[in-house]
Amino acid sequence: MPGVLITYVHWVEALNHRVGRIIMWTLFALMGVLLWGAIARGFFHPQIWTDEMAQFILMGYFMLGGAYALQMGSAVRMDLLYTRWSDRTRAAVDAVTIFTLLIYLGVLLWGGIESTQFALEYNERRRGLWRPYMAPIKIIMCIGIVLMLLQCTAFLIRDVARLRGIEIKERAT
Amino acid sequence: MPYEMIAALMFGSMLMMMLTGQRMFGVIGFVAVVSAIFLWGDRGGHDLAFAQTIKLMNWFPLLTLPMFIFMGYVLSESRLADDLYRMFHVWFGRVPGGLAIGTIMLMVLISAMNGLSVAGMAIGATIALPELLKRAYDKRMVTGVIQAGASLGILVPPSVVMVLYAMIARQPVGQLWLAGILPGLMLASLFMTYIWLRCRFNPALGPAISEDDLAQVSRGEKYRLLLAGLLPLGIFAVMMVPFVMGYTRLVESSVIGALAALAASIAKGRMTWAVLEVCTKRTLAISCMFLWIILAALAFGAVFDGLRAVDFVRALFMENLGLGRWEILILMQLSFIIMGTFLDDTAMLVIVAPLYVPIVRMLEFDLIWYGVLYTITCQIAYMTPPFGYNLFLMRAMAPKDVTLMDIYRSIIPFVGVMILGLALVMIFPQIALWLPDLVFNR
Amino acid sequence: QSTIRWRLQTYAGASLGAQVAKPAIDMFNAIAGDEMQIDLFYADQLVPTEELFQAMQRGTIDAVQSDDDSMMSPTEVTVFGGYFPFASRYSLDVPALFNDWGLNEIWDEEYSRVGVKHISAGAWDPCHFITTSEIRSLDDLQGKRVFTFPTAGRFLSQFGVVPVTVPWEDVEIAMQTREIDGVAWCGITEAYEVGWADICDYFLTNNISGAWIGHFFANMDRWNELPEHLQKLMATCFEQSHYYRQHWYWAGEARLRTEGDKLELTSIPDEEWARVEAAAREFWQEVADESETKAKVVQIFRDYNAAMDKAGRPYRYS
Ligand code: NA
Ligand code: NA
Repeated sequence: MPGVLITYVHWVEALNHRVGRIIMWTLFALMGVLLWGAIARGFFHPQIWTDEMAQFILMGYFMLGGAYALQMGSAVRMDLLYTRWSDRTRAAVDAVTIFTLLIYLGVLLWGGIESTQFALEYNERRRGLWRPYMAPIKIIMCIGIVLMLLQCTAFLIRDVARLRGIEIKERAT
Repeated sequence: MPYEMIAALMFGSMLMMMLTGQRMFGVIGFVAVVSAIFLWGDRGGHDLAFAQTIKLMNWFPLLTLPMFIFMGYVLSESRLADDLYRMFHVWFGRVPGGLAIGTIMLMVLISAMNGLSVAGMAIGATIALPELLKRAYDKRMVTGVIQAGASLGILVPPSVVMVLYAMIARQPVGQLWLAGILPGLMLASLFMTYIWLRCRFNPALGPAISEDDLAQVSRGEKYRLLLAGLLPLGIFAVMMVPFVMGYTRLVESSVIGALAALAASIAKGRMTWAVLEVCTKRTLAISCMFLWIILAALAFGAVFDGLRAVDFVRALFMENLGLGRWEILILMQLSFIIMGTFLDDTAMLVIVAPLYVPIVRMLEFDLIWYGVLYTITCQIAYMTPPFGYNLFLMRAMAPKDVTLMDIYRSIIPFVGVMILGLALVMIFPQIALWLPDLVFNR
Repeated sequence: QSTIRWRLQTYAGASLGAQVAKPAIDMFNAIAGDEMQIDLFYADQLVPTEELFQAMQRGTIDAVQSDDDSMMSPTEVTVFGGYFPFASRYSLDVPALFNDWGLNEIWDEEYSRVGVKHISAGAWDPCHFITTSEIRSLDDLQGKRVFTFPTAGRFLSQFGVVPVTVPWEDVEIAMQTREIDGVAWCGITEAYEVGWADICDYFLTNNISGAWIGHFFANMDRWNELPEHLQKLMATCFEQSHYYRQHWYWAGEARLRTEGDKLELTSIPDEEWARVEAAAREFWQEVADESETKAKVVQIFRDYNAAMDKAGRPYRYS
């Protein structure tokens, strides 16, 4: 296994780990924004930005946190057969089927880039009174998709290595 | 190729690819984008997948999802339920099968404080299961008790599964939740009745606690423990009362619920930095799992819509098979249960519900009522082999001397009870609809 | 020769779309037969309404029925789509403005520039408040969270109204979960048709605008690929859709106000409502100052309304 690939896997996993560790705390930012919306409406003046801000945070939360969640193995698989296979069989099957993820995420990114270009070109804003620009959240979503793609390539390299009898060490975190 | 063929091909290839064990959101999304490009690639069908992110973002009640997941983790990780379990232990220990009955009651309270069944499973397996086995309860019964009890988490409000159903069926989440309360309590009573009857006729299955054991607990302690039961009721109340009174919106209530659980665990001195970190991390993991699978399923649904697949399914049921509305509904529920044995609730929700909900709407059945039927079916799916969350969790958490066969056998009677419950709600829709009708004057 | 297949998505949900879009599409399909078929999709079915314009520009969706405002089209005329406050009094004002007063030409130019064919504009219903709590004075508008069109929301916010954005299909749910207190979105016909009248209790008879402006659009390349007779047929069927709405709403608004029993009618006194009309004139000037094209459209509105005032009865009674 070329050393550069192993370095790549470690680099990608470390990046996604760090991003995920930061993003997971935005859950509390989400709570704060929603709570402030409720308090302000009840006691002061209704806020025009809280609902949309919360929606943006949720999108950022799961898009940027997605790759870290993948690392944690949280994505559901149908394990009717999967659990009965040997590690080697699993690696072989995964190395092929990971292309479903790569293709889906690739097409998602394709649409995302076009949509972001549109948002930038026409200064797209969100409907409503606050009318924030849409480009920032679309860029964040595109970055999240890229992180997911990187994580999937890391999975692929790990599986191929496993088939060749090499176990790429988990990076100490 | 006719559209029906393409739709059938999409569905079939998706199920086939799922069997490879690849992550489900990837498989669903892959079939969706490949079909979109194949069908409309010359005019940019590739952008359908990303357009769904905006659809997802617009669905405001989705914000409740991480909140209820977080709530469940706070509950299980900070061991807030320990006192509760002791309460049921002391108060019901004397009844035949009393500890098992107490476990079901515990599960009802836990269900009222979280949106999934994971918390119930974790608490059941770590607190209740060792205790039940130590007291010589039949191991073929108790794993079933915990799985069945924990599954109430998605029927008793708050419920993440109902939030997602509401998104697909476009129904008010608040009404759905209210509709889940009575069926949830009914199922719990049916479980308890079943346990009590079995233990009455065969006391060896669930021996009562000896008087000596009980004598060790003072009367004061007994009443102090009763106070533990106020905690879940309190959390449920601060969450639901402002919502039903109209002071807070649903999403805000979910935040209040999450913060109330957090506050309770801090007040009880159970919340450490490490626990908070674990809860936050797992919330991210589970939320991502749900949201990515929904995003992919929305793309799949958009392509299915583009193919007019619902028209085709409708024609098959009504014109080709010539069935009446109740026959169709029963057939749908049966196929749901069968599919549920090898699919989990998320998969059923995102794949099957978009296909069935328009038919239910067309048949002019109440979609709130159907949401309850749907959720009970999901509960069954949770426990039935080969694929079920609670089954996996039980397999992972149970002690070594509980074999896989024990776990499989233990669920059979409880699945039977759930099917009975399903039939009751079908025959008497008011079990589900009475409460939302009352509160919302529908 | 294979059948040409188009996909048209309307901004309206299924229940409303069954009235305002489906009859025309069914008619087109019946006449065009094997030559061409249009598949109709309702709000958010293929893409969310916010993405409608992009999807049509790219060609993922061939045609769209919407107002400019809802689909957030990146043109100078977007602000006038839907309900531009007090732009029209009757639904006949809209076809008059577009066909006789020059708006068609402006719209055609604006949309051609972004690769979209503007097929035609038509009038829908007037814009009223339909709410869960009553409105009898301008003060009652303070803090009301309503679902409304972007431009109407921008205008109304000066009276304390809080515009809230939810997908059209979820408005009913949002009312029940108290996310919103009602809508400033449509007339009474639509409120009954889509079921909002079952949840809300009050209908404010004062309206912000007499008629909604909505259009049919198509992807420019797709449109140009069609043989001329299909272009003509489509334009005719869409005109028929506009015509159908003229009488469907006109009759329905009056019938439900007089015979409907689900909504209580309330009014803001005329002298108070005059403040809103005065604010609208300022709002027009504000919009006119934004660009030359907008100034041109505002001037047409001003000239048209002046002419109507001068014409007197039956065009204006006050
Ligand atoms: Na629950
Ligand atoms: Na199952």
